[in-house]
Amino acid sequence: MPKIRSEKSSEGHSSQYENILKKNKKSKRLAEFKKTFPMYLMLIPGVIYLVCNNYLPMFGILIAFKKVNFSIGVLKSPWVGFSNFRFLFETKDAWIMIRNTLAYNAVFIILGMAIAIFVALCMAEISNRGIAKIIQPIICFPSMVSAVILSFIVYAFLSTTYGFVNRTFFPDSPINWYATAKYWPFILTIVHFWQVTGQSSIIYMASIGGIDKELYEAARIDGASKFKQIWHITLPLLKPMMTLMLLLSIGRIFNSDFGLFYQVPLGSGLLYNTTQTIDTYVYRALLELNNVGMSSAASVFQAIIGFLLVILSNALVRKIDKENALF
Amino acid sequence: MDQIRKSTAPTIKDERAFHNVALVLMILLALYCLAPFFLMLSVSLSTEHSLSTGGYSFWPREFSFAAYDYLWAKRFTIGRAYGITIFVTVVGTITNLLLTSLFAYPLSRKDFKPRNVIAFIIFFSLMFNGGLTASYIVWTRLFHIKNTIWALLIPGSLMGGMNILLVRNYFNANIPYSIIEAAQIDGAGVFRIYWRIMLPLSKPVLTTIGLFAALGYWNNWTNGLYYISDTKLYTIQVYLKKLMDSIAFLKSSDIASESAALAYKAFPMESARMAIAIIAILPILLVYPFIQKELVKGLVIGGVKG
Repeated sequence: MPKIRSEKSSEGHSSQYENILKKNKKSKRLAEFKKTFPMYLMLIPGVIYLVCNNYLPMFGILIAFKKVNFSIGVLKSPWVGFSNFRFLFETKDAWIMIRNTLAYNAVFIILGMAIAIFVALCMAEISNRGIAKIIQPIICFPSMVSAVILSFIVYAFLSTTYGFVNRTFFPDSPINWYATAKYWPFILTIVHFWQVTGQSSIIYMASIGGIDKELYEAARIDGASKFKQIWHITLPLLKPMMTLMLLLSIGRIFNSDFGLFYQVPLGSGLLYNTTQTIDTYVYRALLELNNVGMSSAASVFQAIIGFLLVILSNALVRKIDKENALF
Repeated sequence: MDQIRKSTAPTIKDERAFHNVALVLMILLALYCLAPFFLMLSVSLSTEHSLSTGGYSFWPREFSFAAYDYLWAKRFTIGRAYGITIFVTVVGTITNLLLTSLFAYPLSRKDFKPRNVIAFIIFFSLMFNGGLTASYIVWTRLFHIKNTIWALLIPGSLMGGMNILLVRNYFNANIPYSIIEAAQIDGAGVFRIYWRIMLPLSKPVLTTIGLFAALGYWNNWTNGLYYISDTKLYTIQVYLKKLMDSIAFLKSSDIASESAALAYKAFPMESARMAIAIIAILPILLVYPFIQKELVKGLVIGGVKG
C-alpha cells in the first residue's frame, strides 16, 4: 500500500507540469503525452522489428492454405483449403519426420536430464575447487562452436576413406557412415550430448550450490554415507528444478536442432529415414525441392502444435512454480 | 566451509573416495570434450601424404604447415569471409543491445500505461511463430534481402524477446525507482535517463546478453544458407559449409590476385579443410577464457527461461 502512495506522489513531484495539471484536464493530457511520447519513440525500432520478424510471418501461415504461385504473387494465389496438409500427411515423409522429431527429443530430454544431473553431482563432489573451476569451462566449450564446425569434427571421425574411426577400428572393411541410416540415431545422440552436456549441467550445479550445507553436516553427524546424502538430500532438493526443466522441454518437443540434423549428417539423402526431422523437412521442401505448399504445411503444423504445447507446458509450470511461468 | 571439512575429516573416509572418483570422471569428461578439437588440429598439421596413407589420427604422423601455408596464400578470400563475419558480429551485437535496452526501458517504467499490452506482444512472439517457410517468404518476397548484408544481420537475430524480458527484470530489480525520480526532479528527460542512468547501471546484464548475441552472430550459418548465394557475402561459417559440401569449392573461390600464387602450390585438400575450421574456432578459443564466467552466468539465468 505505501508503495502505491509513494508512486503517486512521485509522479506528481516529477512532472514539471504540476501546476498546469491542477488547472484543467486538457493540459493534463498534454503533460501525460509529453512524458510518454519519448517512451513510444523508444519502442518504435523494436516494434518495427517485431512486426517484420515475428508478426508478418504469423500471417504467413495462410500460405499453407494456398497454392502459391509467385508469378501472380502470394496474395493473389488461389485458396486450396487443407489440400497441402492432405498431400503432406499422405506421404511417408510426414510419419518419418514426426517420429524422428519426437523420438530424438524423448531420448535427449530423459537421458539429457540424467547425464546433466550426474555431471553436476560429480562437479559438486570435486573437493579441489581450483580444478573444478578449470574443468567447468572446458566441458562447456563444445556448446560454443557452430553446427558447421560440429560437422567438420564428425567428418574427421567418420569420413569413409580417412576418418579416424574407420582407420582405427575398421581398417579392412570401412563402413560408409554417411550412407548407412541405422547408425545415425547413435551418432546424433553422441554428438548431441558431446555438445550440450556441460552447458545443461550448469543449471543443476547452480541449484546444488544453493543447497544449505548444514543439511549435509547434520546427515554426516547421523552417519549418512555419501550415497545416502545424495539420495536423501541432494536429489529431493533438485526435484523442483528437474520438474521445471522437464515441463519447459515439453513445449519444445516438436522442435529440433536444425544444425544437428541437417548439417552434421551433411544433408545426406540416404540418411533421411533416421535424420529427417520437421525442421530439416521444412528446409528441404522449401529450398531444395521448391515445394512451398508442402514446406508451409509442415511448418504451420509444427508452429500450431508447438504453440499448444507451450501453452500446456506453461499451464503446468504455473501450477507448480508460479515464479518461473512465462505468463 | 574449511572449518566444516576439518571438523568432520576423520569420519568421512568414504567421502574422500567419492571426491576422487568424481574428479577422475570429470577429468575424463573434459578430455572427451577436448579430444575432437585435437583431432582437427592434428589433421590440419599433417602432410597430405600421411593422411592418405594412414588416415586421420590424434597425432600428426608427418608434421607440416602446408595447409596453413596454403590458406595464407588464399588470405584475401578467407580474409574477406572473416571480415564479413567480424562486421556482422560487431554491428549486429551493438544494434541488438541498443534495440533490446531501448525496448526494455519503457516496459520497466511503472508510469508507462501500455506496458502490459506491449509485454504481451513480446510473450506472444515467444510462444508462436510463423515458421521458416513464412519467414523466408516475408524476407525474400516482401523485403528482398537475398544476397544483401542485411540478410546476415536481421532475420531472427537482431532482437530477442527473452532478452527484453531479462533486461526489463534487471531494470526493475536492480535500479531503484528513487534514482529515476531524483533524475526527473533534476529535469532529466526519458532519453537522458535511459542513456545516462539505465545503461551504465545495467552493464552486467548487457554484457551477458551482448556476449551471447556476438557468439550467435559469429556462429550463425543458417541465415547465410537461406539467403546468401553470392560468394562475396559469405561469412566464415557459410564458407566452411560450402567447403564441406565440396572441397573443390576451396579452389574455385580463388580471387584473381591469388591464382598466380596458388598455381605453384600443391592443394592440401584434407588438411586445408580442417585448417580453415581451426581458424574459424580460433577467435572463440582466444576470448573464451576471459568471457566464460559471464557466459556461465548467462546460462544460469537463461537456462530456465528459454
